Amino acid sequence: MKQISSDFAPPLKLIAPFFKFGVIYYLLAMLTLLFFKPDFVYAQTDVAGWVHLFLLGFVMMIIFGAMAQLVPVVLEAGHAVVDVYYVIMPLLAVGTVVMVAGFWITPVLLPYGGLLVLIAMIIFAIENFATLKKTALKTLTVSTVKWSNAYLLLGILTGFAIALGLAGSLSIDVGLMLKAHVYAVLGGYVVLTIIGLSLILVPMFSLAHGFDETSINRAFKLVIGSAGTVFLGALFGWESMMYIGYTVTILGILFYLHQIYILATLTVRKEMDIWAKSMIFAYGSLIVSLLLGALYFLLGRESVLHASVWFLLMGFIASMITGHLYKIVPFLVWFERFAPLVGKKKIPMLHEMYSKEGASVFFWFNASGVVLGGIGLLFESDIWFKAGASFLFAGALFLMVTMQKMLSYGSDEDTSTEA
Amino acid sequence: MCDLTKEMVYDAISTVIDPEVGFNLVEMGLIYDVIIDENCNVHVVMTLSTQGCPLHQMITTWVKEAVERIEGVGEVEVEVVWEPAWNISMADEHVKNTLNGL
Repeated sequence: MKQISSDFAPPLKLIAPFFKFGVIYYLLAMLTLLFFKPDFVYAQTDVAGWVHLFLLGFVMMIIFGAMAQLVPVVLEAGHAVVDVYYVIMPLLAVGTVVMVAGFWITPVLLPYGGLLVLIAMIIFAIENFATLKKTALKTLTVSTVKWSNAYLLLGILTGFAIALGLAGSLSIDVGLMLKAHVYAVLGGYVVLTIIGLSLILVPMFSLAHGFDETSINRAFKLVIGSAGTVFLGALFGWESMMYIGYTVTILGILFYLHQIYILATLTVRKEMDIWAKSMIFAYGSLIVSLLLGALYFLLGRESVLHASVWFLLMGFIASMITGHLYKIVPFLVWFERFAPLVGKKKIPMLHEMYSKEGASVFFWFNASGVVLGGIGLLFESDIWFKAGASFLFAGALFLMVTMQKMLSYGSDEDTSTEA
Repeated sequence: MCDLTKEMVYDAISTVIDPEVGFNLVEMGLIYDVIIDENCNVHVVMTLSTQGCPLHQMITTWVKEAVERIEGVGEVEVEVVWEPAWNISMADEHVKNTLNGL
């Protein structure tokens, strides 16, 4: 019989804090967005602070929690040392706060926050590599996990070098190192991880079967290669190499979108739940981000680049994550509290474990906020941007409340196995 | 002589519901075959809707336990196979219609 993944499922008490804190940091990121203006330069330290609050506190926190659950599913092998996640969460949570304070208050704090985050991510990457050694699988998704973790290490090392440079402890070209850092983390880790996980999760939730994987294989290879190309180009200041890398990344993402299109045509489940709506909005945002990125290369206007990155971060990455939260969190809670009761008493279905109205309000506030904020950035309009930020903050409140309800669902349930 | 019938086994397995989609395994078309020998030992051949299913072990355990609850049953064995791969055409009409929102 095939290897069994649920043997290796980590307990809810290990994973839940990642999701709780991830959503709290998301709420804080949306709250602080209200104090930003849409005309800025990307190297501003207050902008860097917000980006780290969003990417470390929300994106990385949720991805790490999700990976604790999904790595055994993807690799069909148990974690090498699953308990390290008890250490990773507080290190990442505290490191994020100290780093953001370093950007917003005093740069002296940056190396301290950076070090905490560095330790958290090194532990995460080493544990992943140790788990990878246990798997006999040779699939492309497994190879993607290896590559994405390698890029994560490169990203955090360059990030730590930047922190030392900004604090005055290391003499480096911060501008070049920043581009290498951003690309290793965003292109090399976050985008690769999302592509890899969506190949598993999208067919699982949509019940799409019998699809050709040629496009996703090409997407993996192109994004892996292009992330390395841009990273090296940025590190050595070879601009033409970086442009080749950008172009290859875009090609890779187009192949990825083609794969998603194939999956969409084979989707069996037509129900427009929060997950399906979030996926449509996320992929729509990715297309808008690509179009704006192309427009930036033609026009060279910074505001177009800012809008492109906005749709990538807030429209694509954030919507992918939040949409999946409404699938993953009910499953984790159900697995912990209700699975032992199957056949013994009536238990809820997964879709009954969250407020559909609350999730729907979150989705529409979030989607409106992304569109309004994107328009505000594109035209450098303060009022549109503030309107977008307000919608996003209101949506984040609904996300937090619905998340809390999901996590506490059935917490008073008697899970004894007696009938 | 064993009085156990395939229908009795399918009925027992139909109490096992996939919590994600809300249908039982039989109407989803996930049970490929049931083999009963003269000693009432039961061998269930089944699949899952996805190879990466995190409930893999639990679902097979639920199937085993459901069949074991039938009176007079002997040893129960559950085998998960991936060929032929499951697809929606294997499901009952009402499952297809519900999933398609018809």
